[in-house]
Amino acid sequence: MAMNLTRRNLLKTASLAAASVPLSKVVAKAETGIAKVPLIPPGSFKKTKTVTGGVCEMCFWRCQLVGKVRDNRLIKLEGNPKSIDNGLNLCARGNSGIKLVYDPDRLKYPMKNIGKRGAPKWKKISWEEALDTCAAKLQATIDKYGPKGIGVWYHGASAHYPTAYFEYLGVPNMYEPAFYQCRGQTAMAMMQTLGFVPNEDVDMANSKAMLLVGCHLGENIHLSHVKNFLKGLENGSKLVVVDPRFSASAAKAHIWVKIKPGTDTAFLLGLMNYMLGKGCYNKSFVDKHCLGLNKLKTHVAEWSIEKTAKECDIPGKQIVEVAELLCEHAPHVAVHPGRHAAWYGNDFQRVRANACLTALLGAIDCPGGIVQIKRMSTGHVHWPKVEHEEDPEDMALAEMEEKYPFRPPGTPPELMRETMVTGKPYPIKSMVIWGTNSIKTMPNQEETMKALANMDFIMVTDVSPTDITMWADILLPEACYLERYDHIEKGTQWNQSDKPQQFVAARMPLVEPMFERKDSVWMINELARRMGHEKDIPVKNQEEFVDHMLKEADLSIAKLRKLDGIYIQEGESPYLKKGDEPEFGTDSGKIELYSEAMDDEDFPPLPTYTRTEEPPKGYARMIYGRSPVHTFNRTANNAWLSREVPENPLWLNDESAKKMGIKDGDRVSLENQAGKRSAGSTVVKVTPGIRKDCVFIAHGFGTFNPAMTVGYNKGIDDNSLNTKINREGETGISGMRINFVRIIKNGKTINIPG
Amino acid sequence: MEMKGDSHKHKTVEPDESESLADIFAFLALLVRYPDISFFDNEFLDTLEILLTRLNLEKSCLKISIWRNSVEDPLLDAQLEYTRLFINAVPHVIAPPYASVYQDGDFSLQGKTTEKIRNFYRQHGFDVVVSTQPADHIQFELEFLSYIYRQGQFDVGDYFLSTFFVPWFEKFLQKISEELRHPLYRVSLQLITYFVKEEQ
Repeated sequence: MAMNLTRRNLLKTASLAAASVPLSKVVAKAETGIAKVPLIPPGSFKKTKTVTGGVCEMCFWRCQLVGKVRDNRLIKLEGNPKSIDNGLNLCARGNSGIKLVYDPDRLKYPMKNIGKRGAPKWKKISWEEALDTCAAKLQATIDKYGPKGIGVWYHGASAHYPTAYFEYLGVPNMYEPAFYQCRGQTAMAMMQTLGFVPNEDVDMANSKAMLLVGCHLGENIHLSHVKNFLKGLENGSKLVVVDPRFSASAAKAHIWVKIKPGTDTAFLLGLMNYMLGKGCYNKSFVDKHCLGLNKLKTHVAEWSIEKTAKECDIPGKQIVEVAELLCEHAPHVAVHPGRHAAWYGNDFQRVRANACLTALLGAIDCPGGIVQIKRMSTGHVHWPKVEHEEDPEDMALAEMEEKYPFRPPGTPPELMRETMVTGKPYPIKSMVIWGTNSIKTMPNQEETMKALANMDFIMVTDVSPTDITMWADILLPEACYLERYDHIEKGTQWNQSDKPQQFVAARMPLVEPMFERKDSVWMINELARRMGHEKDIPVKNQEEFVDHMLKEADLSIAKLRKLDGIYIQEGESPYLKKGDEPEFGTDSGKIELYSEAMDDEDFPPLPTYTRTEEPPKGYARMIYGRSPVHTFNRTANNAWLSREVPENPLWLNDESAKKMGIKDGDRVSLENQAGKRSAGSTVVKVTPGIRKDCVFIAHGFGTFNPAMTVGYNKGIDDNSLNTKINREGETGISGMRINFVRIIKNGKTINIPG
Repeated sequence: MEMKGDSHKHKTVEPDESESLADIFAFLALLVRYPDISFFDNEFLDTLEILLTRLNLEKSCLKISIWRNSVEDPLLDAQLEYTRLFINAVPHVIAPPYASVYQDGDFSLQGKTTEKIRNFYRQHGFDVVVSTQPADHIQFELEFLSYIYRQGQFDVGDYFLSTFFVPWFEKFLQKISEELRHPLYRVSLQLITYFVKEEQ
């Protein structure tokens, strides 16, 4: 080729050379993606529309939002101006939803793994082939082992319809990490004690005092919840934060109780003993509404200030100060129930202690207390009830083994995993994994991989190529929360002392899904058709699914659209009116300080402290939490969020660091008590704001699927170091803060002085 | 947006040249489209070989010929490689073939660049008809050029190439270069480079 040719000449020469090649015949075979259209004047598409109906899913708080859309392209997300919950606000994650929609790493087409599980090689396949394969494989499992041969791991709003279908199929074992690794104990222990699940309905805004045990509001940003918290501070509420670490909440606290990790239950028992001894608890409330006061009094009597102070490694006078502060302001005290509770493997008891303390203060259904918020109700979509040869309820693993009587709905994860490995009491041979990255959520990752290796078939549905997708045989791409209909959000105005209002918002797409992404209703209906269940399909599509749920509230998608995405009506205050009595849904109808049901099942009927294992010499306990701009691993690949917080610094006590020769900003990795090393590394944050017996790291980092090109190998995956777990008997939920680490710097292992 | 192609009189171009260039760009577009049975057959690969020979790119032609003879199913082989390079892969997708990923600074689909490119299509009487794909996919850009050249609008084509196509295509080539081992895609991108390069 002559190098001095101009482009024109080159093209001319080349085109003449090519003129004799029969190109036109070949190019005519495939239709082009570009076509001639009537001339469109410049500027015609400049107009930006506001599309309403979005409900956020960057975390699970589900703020209501609107999208600015130009030419079918989502340009910006904002809080829905009509929202009485998050209002105009969106957090950093909410704003960054756009980067999820348009992340080039996202799953785009159905894929078949023609490599190995864990080391996949992907072939793009048609939906037809993908669904045919899934149906045939799942049916083969049912034919050979019955529906119990299938297991389901799931998460999120888009999994509601699929799990309803698998229930209809008679699948007895499903696991949702949102319960088993997060809120399970909080919900179940509160239910057992108070007879209702308060979730996080705590009226902090109108409290006179707040108690956070291990909660770090401000690091977990749930918008209206944080507004509620900050309003309380603004109104002068006294904040007590119990945390081994100077968290974002501790930084706002009037009293920071720098407690020894694992001793929170002892602290709560000590507080109760002081209040009961001094008689400064809310007597009228307790006399009227609680059962077992005397038994509790006797039970906590051993927890003197001295003993509690010693056990928790805190000054005794601080316990007195906290107890008196709470009593002084009772009942207007926000004792936060917490969210993630799976800490030490004795957590049900701790949450019970928390509930009993709340009861002693009478801090329920009054300004500042736990409140039973009255939301509107909407319906559910069910598949028809069918008889199965084996009753799925009887075949559920926990039921068969008569274990974990106070477990949340579903099967405890490790119990299912053990069955997947051993085939006992029966084989589970096919897995459906819907929107949950179980490699990251379940402790002891090697066991999870072993269980997955043992399957005949694995179907995974997800939005992004998360770690778990590497184990799929068939991988299905799902539309994300801005591209589909599903969740109905129900709530009230965020401040309970404001004019009572209730709202309903349904998730509606702001933009069309790109590539071949589909919603879960479409996927499940197509699967059901192929498995011979067409006649039982309850709703035709996602719109009908949502309309069906809205019907109970006399609403529809069409009505909500006219209302800019949110229906609002007059509400009801959660505060008890004079003369009204609170209602408790326990067996006895009262708050059960002493629980007969627990006694019947041979568990401590009164909240009981169990010591947790101490770190071995040279190691510190690894505690974990959240980064304010991430939702665990779910946002790891978000370009904007990763730019703000790319990794998870390791908090290390300043005096320890000095002895170890470690400086702020040093790059280190970790090794746990079993010799397991972290794959990635991170920087050290040297601070007096953490005790010497623990180190802290935010959860969700250290993605190990390189397909997540932004998040890959950034920071340390704390869960990879959770090789030891402590499963509690009440719920089957595993505590994960019982792993210990030391530091590796420049290849050298350095012990952490206690 | 001021368009060179709009403000200048089109150069006269011989009809034959216009047709054959249009066919070339349509063919280039097929090379970077997901290979499917509708077009990706022996005739398609034969044509590729003939084109390479006519352009005196014999070495490339030989590579294609050896590859075709060494794999059992060239279509499947091409599909797997296309998926790895452009869709989803382990360890990761190598080079998403969209302009905005390279031009808009934050590794994103449907960026400002996508909008500009789509507007350019529209202002010249064309649009993408597949709404589920961003308008700045390499395939669409090459198809657009094919249509423009078929209309004899060389200035518009050149303007589009220098303003929209080449700037991201160079970055895309850089990103993909280390992973560009497969003969089909190595040769395809070489061929595209050949037809879009700037004046020397």
